[in-house]
Amino acid sequence: MTYSPARVRELLTRIAEPLRAAPASTELSALLARLDAFQQLPDERLDATTALEASGAPLGAMRVIPGPSRGLVGATANELKKLAEAELAAHAERAAQAALEAERKASDFDATLPAARVERGALHPIVAVTRELEDLFTSMGWTVLDGPEVETEHFNFDALNIQPDHPARETMDTFWVATPPGAPRLVMRTHTSPVQVRAMKRLKPPFRAIVPGKVFRNESVDASHEHTFHQMEGLVVGKNISVGHLIGAMKTLLRGIFGREIEIRLRPGYFPFVEPGFELDARCPFCKDGCSVCKRSTWIELLPCGMVHPNVLRAGGIDPEQWTGFAFGLGLSRLVMLRYSIDDIRHLLGGDVRFVSQF
Amino acid sequence: MKISYSWLTRHVDLAGVSAHDVARELTLSTAEVEGVHAFLPHLGDVTVGHVVERDKHPDADKLSVCKVDVGQGELLQIVCGAPNVRAGLKVAVATSGVTLPGDFKIKKSKIRGVESNGMICSERELGLGDEHNGIWELPLELRVGDKVASALGAQDWVIEIDNKSLTHRPDLWGHRGIARELAAILRRPLKPLDAAAQPWSASKAGEVAVRIETPNCSRYIALAVQGARADKSPLWLKRLLLAVGQRPIDLLVDLSNFVMLDLGQPNHLFDRRRLSADGIAVRMARAGESMKTLDGVERKLEPSDMLICSGDAPVALAGVMGGESSKVEGDTSQLVLEVATFHPTVVRRTSTRLGLRTDSSARFEKNLDPELAPLAARHLVHLLRAEQPDVRVVGAPTDVGDWKSTARRVPMRFERVRAMLGADISDDGILDILKRLEFGIEANSNGACVVLVPSFRGTKDVTLEQDLVEEVGRIHRYGNIPERELEGALTPPPRDEGWKRRMLVRRVEDRLALAAHFHQLVSYSFVHDGLLEKLGLAATPHVTVQNSIAEGFSRVRRSVMPSVLAVLEANRRRSASVALFEVGKGYVPSEGHEPLEVHEVALALCAAPAKKDARFDHNSLARLKGVVEDVVRSLGLEAGAWRKCESAPSWANPGRCAELRIGDVLVGELAPLEPGLARALGLSGELESDTALARLSIDALLGAAQRSKLYQPLPQFPDTLVDVALALPEERAAADATAAIERCGKGVVAGLELFDLYRGPNVGEGRKSLAWHVVLRASDRTLTDQDVKKFLERVEREAANLGGVLRRE
Ligand SMILES: [Zn+2]
Repeated sequence: MTYSPARVRELLTRIAEPLRAAPASTELSALLARLDAFQQLPDERLDATTALEASGAPLGAMRVIPGPSRGLVGATANELKKLAEAELAAHAERAAQAALEAERKASDFDATLPAARVERGALHPIVAVTRELEDLFTSMGWTVLDGPEVETEHFNFDALNIQPDHPARETMDTFWVATPPGAPRLVMRTHTSPVQVRAMKRLKPPFRAIVPGKVFRNESVDASHEHTFHQMEGLVVGKNISVGHLIGAMKTLLRGIFGREIEIRLRPGYFPFVEPGFELDARCPFCKDGCSVCKRSTWIELLPCGMVHPNVLRAGGIDPEQWTGFAFGLGLSRLVMLRYSIDDIRHLLGGDVRFVSQF
Repeated sequence: MKISYSWLTRHVDLAGVSAHDVARELTLSTAEVEGVHAFLPHLGDVTVGHVVERDKHPDADKLSVCKVDVGQGELLQIVCGAPNVRAGLKVAVATSGVTLPGDFKIKKSKIRGVESNGMICSERELGLGDEHNGIWELPLELRVGDKVASALGAQDWVIEIDNKSLTHRPDLWGHRGIARELAAILRRPLKPLDAAAQPWSASKAGEVAVRIETPNCSRYIALAVQGARADKSPLWLKRLLLAVGQRPIDLLVDLSNFVMLDLGQPNHLFDRRRLSADGIAVRMARAGESMKTLDGVERKLEPSDMLICSGDAPVALAGVMGGESSKVEGDTSQLVLEVATFHPTVVRRTSTRLGLRTDSSARFEKNLDPELAPLAARHLVHLLRAEQPDVRVVGAPTDVGDWKSTARRVPMRFERVRAMLGADISDDGILDILKRLEFGIEANSNGACVVLVPSFRGTKDVTLEQDLVEEVGRIHRYGNIPERELEGALTPPPRDEGWKRRMLVRRVEDRLALAAHFHQLVSYSFVHDGLLEKLGLAATPHVTVQNSIAEGFSRVRRSVMPSVLAVLEANRRRSASVALFEVGKGYVPSEGHEPLEVHEVALALCAAPAKKDARFDHNSLARLKGVVEDVVRSLGLEAGAWRKCESAPSWANPGRCAELRIGDVLVGELAPLEPGLARALGLSGELESDTALARLSIDALLGAAQRSKLYQPLPQFPDTLVDVALALPEERAAADATAAIERCGKGVVAGLELFDLYRGPNVGEGRKSLAWHVVLRASDRTLTDQDVKKFLERVEREAANLGGVLRRE
């Protein structure tokens, strides 16, 4: 039954009727007077709150109601109470809905107000890219190896087929470590390649390994040259490993780095520890017909690579008649710069938080 | 190295093959081409001018005011800043309206008040290379008013080859070598060299006496040449030399250079009249000897330098530069032509030591073929006689030395070549490629043959079967090799030490960067002496390089911490708070052995000083301690125990340094920055900072005990919270008191949080008050007020044992 003042009056009438018929008493007269007062209120004042109050009048005075009427009056009064309570609940719900609607139609909202400050840190971009490559290669069954930054002359040069009077030793701008006379000579490793021979000595072929790490060259520093930078060596030794496998692996590497098929080309390049040796160029991922990154050539010189020289395999204790392999040396620093369009290599190791926090 | 396209056509027919085609073919099969540019590209607009007059600029010492005839009738007045401008020169003039490289438009202008109607150009200004020491001096016979391009003949292209890609190919240091490659690649014949040249026979006892007294000269050819004149060179010769960046001098010098650039064989002309009658000796220098080279510099010699001597007097630094004393000047009627083969390392060492890298030394140090020497001698004589037919070679040429042919035999298996390349090339295809490269084939049977490597490839380049694989591959083209997948069982990499360390480092990095919001550094391994000095480590042994990149940067870090300290001040200056870490390696020298490698993480937290009344854990030290504990916990390790560090590292405030041990293993240290060091690093005054540092040893973390990770049943009964405050003697450690409280509620203390540390009049001198939120909970029942009361009574007794009291509200 829906709430209306008429309905309230009707219920009040039904409560009053048996009371009027009952023997009069002072209390009963007072109750009837109160009920009449409610009865006579105008519609607009006979709201649910008042109706609840009205239902309370007989319910609070049950003991003055003569026995025979009590049941009927009580039941009717309760009916009035429920009617009033239901109306109050409905009213509250309507108000709540209206408030929700008002909130949904908020007019004081500015989407551009700044956020609350949340502290954040960052991995260094070299670490982030190294991890990506490690994950890519380990998912293909490659091992990740590490090697010392302070390296012996033997592993950095001799074992890599770079003989003592080889010009490469001088052109590599080596940092030589002061060592006592007679002790093995030490260098700051000029490349990650020495880990090739260390790996051969430790792992039994067949194996596939990458070696990310820091390398050092004593050359003057400018926006594109650093005396300390990062490389990632790759080495595969197995049965019948061929140039074809090298090409396949490099295409997979580039697919991993750039997320799509990248055209490559191999051209001759000379490095004493590989034969044949190649320079691998990738079709510039940033342009169609030349840009500043590829120096207008549409090719980016990406990495030196080649088939492991038999002398290097021998230095690692591996029989070059039984096993062959390929190796590559990816310029990690350069790749990071390409990836994030970093125009000055000195930012990488410069230790400025404003740089690192961008990544 | 610069290669002229039209020069190449002297050796191989390039019809239908453009300079850019040549560049591409060479790139894909032979060597790296850095660029191709038109020779004389802008010279279609630039006019040949004649400097008629040159006067000093009235207001500028370094400027000249020139009157230049450009064939327009009246002379142009041009202001020029080049030091070599002088009357009589033929020069390249860009008149007003001409645009030079770099979109540089020439306009009439006033320079320091003097009108200038154009520009006299240097080679660099015309895009001809880097030569910028002065203006370009043109051959004098060019006609005034002609465009420079047409005056100098046909358009040419210069192909710039990266020298580094030629280090192993002595045969490619001349145009003929490059042409020979192109002939092989393009399947075109190489034109014969000097087909019309007279044959000549040399002997050990020729006209010029030559003694070789060192094993470092394997061949020495000397010819006595009579009747040569130092005329100006013909235009064809000048043009080719200009194209490759050589300044023409006179016919004799130009032909000597031409032969070097043509065949790759350096050679030298001496004035025979200035040589001793004892002839020529080749020997090593003696200690203390010196000589003046052609460039006028007196050179101190070492016993590792090789000399050409007249009698006993040095007349040339073998393979590097001639000497002043036997310089050809004026009278050229009596010359001696030297063509020799010198040891590559000796030449390289001398040229490197003296900083005297010449076109000659660059070639000798690649290891030249001794059989090239007679070809070059004959070539030069032939070209000279073509210009000056009355030139004669006097007597028999001298040819001495114990050289052996570098031609060699290398066995080759066809199947091995195919397997190594992964390319399906037939035996005939392989043989065809080798023959095109002038390799000979012998004893071809049973899938193998012997390859005869010509002398010009056998000096060091092609010695193994593997080298032949490269020859076949590069001419076949690597681009024609199909890509292959690696095959074989995919086994996960071994879970060895290296793998474990890598995984641990990753977790540490993630926790620090992504959870604790620290910024990761990757720094230099070199650490500056000044910083080591400040750290008091100047006298500590470090791995030290002999040739540092800069003064004071010779030492390699023993620990990662100095790298972090090095950048603190700069970052703190830019930001109110700095949170940094680096994971890296340090090197501890070990006498006579490879240095010990340590793996560490160094952390720094640096902020404005904490407020005076701040809570005890509202400061960098406490925050950093939390970060360290979080790292340890996230690694799944036991929490370990902190205690005061008795031997604090040099970066730590020794009075406030804590060390963390897990079991017996020392994992690292934590401390505020040493206060004196803070001042030295600039973290005082305006940058006054609360700086905490920590070092964790990755190696120690790898060995530390793992925390048990067994499941604990979830609580079924409610918590009871109670606060406990103890007044304790200052020296009593918080950890001891915490442990005591735990003992008091054995089995029911489910959590403890120290939330207050107070010192002041209420607790008295030499004492401190500590307060904990304690969570009590039993596993079998709900705790009652009576239980709490008993717990507090036990705490009270225990506090007395610690020399303190339980504080009641
Ligand atoms: Zn591009």
